[in-house]
Amino acid sequence: MPKHDTPLLDELEKGPWPSFVTDLKRQAEKKPECFDILGQLELSYKDKITHWKHGGIVGVFGYGGGIVGRYSDVPDRFPGVAHFHTVRLNQPSSMFYNSAKLRDICNLWEKYGSGMTNMHGSTGDLVLLGTTTPNLEPLFYDLTHDLNQDLGGSGSNLRTPSCCLGRARCEWGCFDTQDLCHTLTMHYQDEIHRPAFPYKFKFKFSGCPNDCVAAIARSDFAVIGTWRDDIRIDQAAVKGYISGEFAANAGAHSGKDWGKFDIKAEVLDLCPTGCMWMEGDTLKIDNSECTRCMHCLNVMPRALRPGLQQGATICVGAKAPILDGAQFATMTVPFVEVKKNEDGEFAEIVEVIEKIWDWWMEVGKNRERVGETIQRIGLPTFLKVMEITPAPQHIKEPRSNPYVFWQEDEVEGGWERDVVEFRKRNAQ
Amino acid sequence: MALSREDLKAKILEKALTGPKAQLYVKDFYACDPESGPRDIKNAANDLVKEGKMTFWSSGSTTMYAAQGRAKDEENR
Repeated sequence: MPKHDTPLLDELEKGPWPSFVTDLKRQAEKKPECFDILGQLELSYKDKITHWKHGGIVGVFGYGGGIVGRYSDVPDRFPGVAHFHTVRLNQPSSMFYNSAKLRDICNLWEKYGSGMTNMHGSTGDLVLLGTTTPNLEPLFYDLTHDLNQDLGGSGSNLRTPSCCLGRARCEWGCFDTQDLCHTLTMHYQDEIHRPAFPYKFKFKFSGCPNDCVAAIARSDFAVIGTWRDDIRIDQAAVKGYISGEFAANAGAHSGKDWGKFDIKAEVLDLCPTGCMWMEGDTLKIDNSECTRCMHCLNVMPRALRPGLQQGATICVGAKAPILDGAQFATMTVPFVEVKKNEDGEFAEIVEVIEKIWDWWMEVGKNRERVGETIQRIGLPTFLKVMEITPAPQHIKEPRSNPYVFWQEDEVEGGWERDVVEFRKRNAQ
Repeated sequence: MALSREDLKAKILEKALTGPKAQLYVKDFYACDPESGPRDIKNAANDLVKEGKMTFWSSGSTTMYAAQGRAKDEENR
């Protein structure tokens, strides 16, 4: 495959940053199809349109997801990328690999694909970019038999669940994100590998409200760790921060002249609900007003820790801006304990998931995310379906999204009234 | 009463073979038997794919079903 002139792409190699163009040129020495990626991308820059066509009937036998068909619309000019399918691999929970596993994956992809990867795709999968249709089945065989790894989700499937590092490395984990992620991945193998829904559906699990996997913004079903009792305070450590004994933010922003740590300016005044104050040198928190923003815990991790009654909040319906703009998930279940039953299942979480699915599969339109269905049909109906009693926290802000309406049987006399009598008093 | 799995599969396949649209969403098959639940319809459609009578067509973000030979096939265009 010939090398193409790429003056526009070459501009992306200038400057101090790593460049994917340089990486592609290096890879092209081993995999000449990478010259055609560069050539086609250069043409796209000139034409200001993509030259990729998405979609097709490609896949591996028995699976309805994990492979995304990609084709060039100028295959005569760039035959190396005429077929250039994407393969999504189910990543291990929290994306922990050892170097041997990474080497195996790279070797597999050098054998069957372009050698290019995307670590990681926005759903969380390990994405392998560029292979041909005849290579798919042998790749899948080696992947599952030699690497003991599986494809992830794509299309109208349950997408590959993903989670934060959780308790493996983080002191703020309010539940075992890896256990929940892995258990639900195994529980829902059919939904991951075969299309089941009106559109995509994503699970993400964050161990605390810092939400390191951005579950609240990027998943249809976000499980975010929280606590229901009081933030634990070590008053001696609070004094240590004030005196400068401990570095604020665990030293994360050190190295510049920020001046002495000022608890009022850096913590108390930044609390979004103003629920913190000092009485002398003692820190006080009105926990009933805490919205779990995590700012104070992040600034003074030695002094403040999540409470001991830990569990999770379930939020439903986030999505990216394809239709109607991006939206965050709606808080649906304020608190749930994340624990396994005697069968090793997270039954309480599974029950919530399946209630959502049963409703959405019935009433959701084609290509409508569950958050859009909730928006179209209304939160009151959704909460009724979920058998959840509305709480003030379900309201975004007063007088903008009221949704609690009286039912006829809750009103004395119902909706019936004497219209003649009404007109006598309200004659025009 | 809901159709048996085999009767449901026959209805789905008939729609996929003779309907005006070559590629259909799973919800398009719900009308094949209003008594069957969404999961039954999905499972029956997936059985037909396993048997080689239907195929998936996926854009990457959405998946559709088609009778074998009716889906848009980029490789044989």
